[in-house]
Amino acid sequence: MGGKADVMQGTLLLMILKTLETMGPLHGYGVARRIEQTSGHGLLVNYGTLYPALLKLLQEGDIAAEWGTSDNNRRARYYRLTSAGRRRLVRETREWERTAAILGRFLVPQADRS
Amino acid sequence: MRGLRGFVNRFLGLFGGRNADREFREEIESHVQLHTDDNLRRGLPPEEARRRALVDLGGTEQALEAQREGRGLPGLERLAQDVRAGWRGVRKHPGFSLLAVLTLALGIGANTAIFSLVSALLLRPLPYDQPDRLVQLWHTPPQQQFPGRHQFALSPANYLDWRARSHVFEHTAAYGGANLSYTDGSHPENLTAALVAPDLFSVLRARPQAGRTFLPEEETPGKDKVAILSDRLWRTRFGGDAGIVGKPVRFGGEPYTVVGVMAPGFRFPAWADLWVPLAWTDKDKAIRGIHDYMSIARLSPGASVAQAQAELDTIARALEAQYPEDDKGWGALVVPLHRELVGDVRPALWVLFGAVTLVLLIACANVANLVLARTLARRKEMALRAALGASRGRILQQVLVENVLLGLAGGWLGLAVAREGITALTALLGEQLPRFTEVRLDLRVLAFTLGVSVLTGLAAGLLPGLRLTRVDPAEALKQGMGRSSADTGGRRTRGMLVVAEVSISLVLLVGAGLMVRTLAKLRAVDPGFDPRGVLSMTVALPDAKYAEPGQRTAFYDAAVERIRALPGIAGVGAIDGLPMTGGSTQPVVIEGSPDVPMSEQPEFAVRAVTAGYRDTMRIPLLRGRDFADSDRPERPQVVLVSESFAQRFWPGADPIGRRVSLTFHPGLREIVGVVGDVKQQGLGAILPAPTIYVPVLQEPRYALQLVVRPKAPLATLATDVSGAIARVDPEQPVTDVMTLEAMLDDSLAHQRATMLLLSLFAGFALLLAAIGIYSILSYSVRRRVPEIGLRVALGARRLDVLWMIVGNGLRLTGIGLAIGAVGALAATRLLSGLLYGVRPADPLTFAGVALLLTTAALLACWLPARLALRVDPMVALREE
Repeated sequence: MGGKADVMQGTLLLMILKTLETMGPLHGYGVARRIEQTSGHGLLVNYGTLYPALLKLLQEGDIAAEWGTSDNNRRARYYRLTSAGRRRLVRETREWERTAAILGRFLVPQADRS
Repeated sequence: MRGLRGFVNRFLGLFGGRNADREFREEIESHVQLHTDDNLRRGLPPEEARRRALVDLGGTEQALEAQREGRGLPGLERLAQDVRAGWRGVRKHPGFSLLAVLTLALGIGANTAIFSLVSALLLRPLPYDQPDRLVQLWHTPPQQQFPGRHQFALSPANYLDWRARSHVFEHTAAYGGANLSYTDGSHPENLTAALVAPDLFSVLRARPQAGRTFLPEEETPGKDKVAILSDRLWRTRFGGDAGIVGKPVRFGGEPYTVVGVMAPGFRFPAWADLWVPLAWTDKDKAIRGIHDYMSIARLSPGASVAQAQAELDTIARALEAQYPEDDKGWGALVVPLHRELVGDVRPALWVLFGAVTLVLLIACANVANLVLARTLARRKEMALRAALGASRGRILQQVLVENVLLGLAGGWLGLAVAREGITALTALLGEQLPRFTEVRLDLRVLAFTLGVSVLTGLAAGLLPGLRLTRVDPAEALKQGMGRSSADTGGRRTRGMLVVAEVSISLVLLVGAGLMVRTLAKLRAVDPGFDPRGVLSMTVALPDAKYAEPGQRTAFYDAAVERIRALPGIAGVGAIDGLPMTGGSTQPVVIEGSPDVPMSEQPEFAVRAVTAGYRDTMRIPLLRGRDFADSDRPERPQVVLVSESFAQRFWPGADPIGRRVSLTFHPGLREIVGVVGDVKQQGLGAILPAPTIYVPVLQEPRYALQLVVRPKAPLATLATDVSGAIARVDPEQPVTDVMTLEAMLDDSLAHQRATMLLLSLFAGFALLLAAIGIYSILSYSVRRRVPEIGLRVALGARRLDVLWMIVGNGLRLTGIGLAIGAVGALAATRLLSGLLYGVRPADPLTFAGVALLLTTAALLACWLPARLALRVDPMVALREE
């Protein structure tokens, strides 16, 4: 189970980082909604799975968290990118693009043949 | 870096779990609120809005659990869980835990105590700069003259040649010893001075705490009246006087100037109270045939012990060729200083360490047995857990964690045992320990104890743990308490433990038995004299004050006269080296024998005695006459010889009237009597030491040991004799006051200490093994109650039942004895260097020990067997 989950989790981490970069500080629910919307509701069956990923990013110093107040006056825990997280985002985006490109080249001819 | 940071944060996440949980609950609650708000905005009714939010989240508790997993380190957390569970288990069974911890505490404590000795003596480096570069230099004597001796002191001329011709040493230093009296006005005492070459302090790289060490020119006679005090002497005799350096002090009746005080830790040689320069005259420096001095050296950078040995070998061979008269057959030996200082105790120490490790193994087996009995009772619990999905590893881990907890508790208590043990050990071993270091619980020892505690816990838990993981959950649950089923695997495991305990005990008991027999044999050795009631003491006259032989003669005459006049004295005598203390030898030439170089002349002990000595010691006079007061310097020179000397040169003939000459004391001396042999080199010496006695009147000595035999035991003897000597010379100290019986005992101290410790460990092992057999058998009887009941109901006789239980115990004991005997045969060979009069494979010891163990096993079987006999068939069967 390890490898597959890691790939999935790695992707999720990247999505979280990207979301926080685009949206600025955001609470967990907001991040989940944003990812869901961006992915065309194709991802994130359970919002709960987001929190372990957020915790991992926190532990590794890529994001920081603090309590704040939402637009409609609810208390919520806001996450924001740290500079380390920003660097990780750049690096992982580049890696992801490379992987996607390779995978793309790999998949396209096959699609042609079928 | 990222991985490390994540790990550290996760590790920190192990703590403060509750706070993190609370915060996360708040976060989830806020998440649900936000989601509900959204759903409300989309027009859902309030209840449905919240329900949807919860469903989308996937459940609060699940989210919380996922969060917990990610927060800390799951492996560690499970370990912590096991530790908590283990601790609960330990506390829930206080009786079991106490027994296990006490057993382990004794085992680990004894191990720690012995290891602290090993650590202090064998592992800790000597307290000098780069101590591994220090070596001791020895002569090796020609074997035909000194059979069995491999180390010999150095002669000045040879030492100086070694020093001049070798290149492997940075510094070398010769040293010797001398007694110097010192009186602080009222109480005279004898100090032991080390006569040392000034280079000694360079060899050891030792600095004084005050003043300086010796200057090179201070080894010239005439400039040598300077002294360096040891810290102990400075504090006890000079009150730690800060201005002592430069002050004049009288030692041995001569004025010395104190030039320095050494640091507290500096003890080389170990016996030195103070140091004075070794000032050889030109005449001394030419002496090649008298071996009186020690030497240490520091290897040059890059030189090895082997290179030093090779170079000295070459030099010694050149000297043999150059000076055959003195040096034929005399070689050189380089010994690393550490081995030199601890060499004597090393074998005994490893034997003890081995023994105490075996004790710990038995303790482990006993605890393993306890744990096994307990864990088998918990099979149902474990089976349930296994059925619920706990992996084998997880169950094993839990059992091991519990046992490591027991081990650590045992180790903690063991430290207290060890502290007491070290006190007792140092008291017991006392003088035999090289004094360069103190035995204590240092960090190395504590680390050892920690390691042993954990290992012990693991060892004791492994067998029961593995047994438990093999339990088939379905079987175990079906069986209920699993009472009547044949628990063959468990029985085999317990049987193995009994066999192991018996065999290890046998090894230890045989070792102890051999030492007991050795000591008994040594005690039964006739020393050649009658020590009962005799008091001895040393009187060492200072060289300067008693320079004239006549002065010494007058002193001893007067002292002997005054002591003899005391009430209740049966006899008094004096000798220049009591039996059992070894001592010097010299070449002896028999009149009329062919001329041979001195290096080939046989050497014998030559002792100067007073006329009353032989009589006081009750050494039998076999032929001729004893010395008399009339054997004075102006009279013909006479000697007594011991029986073995007479037999060696005149077997079957009368040696009376024959003449011998002693190399170091010219002149022909007539043999006037033959006396019995005494054990000169100690009770354990195999060969008799042929000895020649000369009258002290004809060879006046500075230092003599007085022996005084009272008519009846006399409490005031020591003070009476000291008083008599003080009336002859009030400044003259008297030292080493002890009875000859105590001296004989002391000469066996090494063997006795080894014997006592081995017996202690063996007794402990025997006790543990007996407890082990008892608990295993009684456990098995309890499990077999229904079976026994059935047998009795079917007509089995009491004897059959008895035999069923006892026979089982004896069978296991028998297997253990057989295995142990093989082990003991191998192990006791390590002891052979410590034995006297018994072979390592002594059949009597083996048989006796086997009998002892069998008796203990029978006793241990007896109680469970009685339990089995009391089984009421009706009750037993109903229970089933």
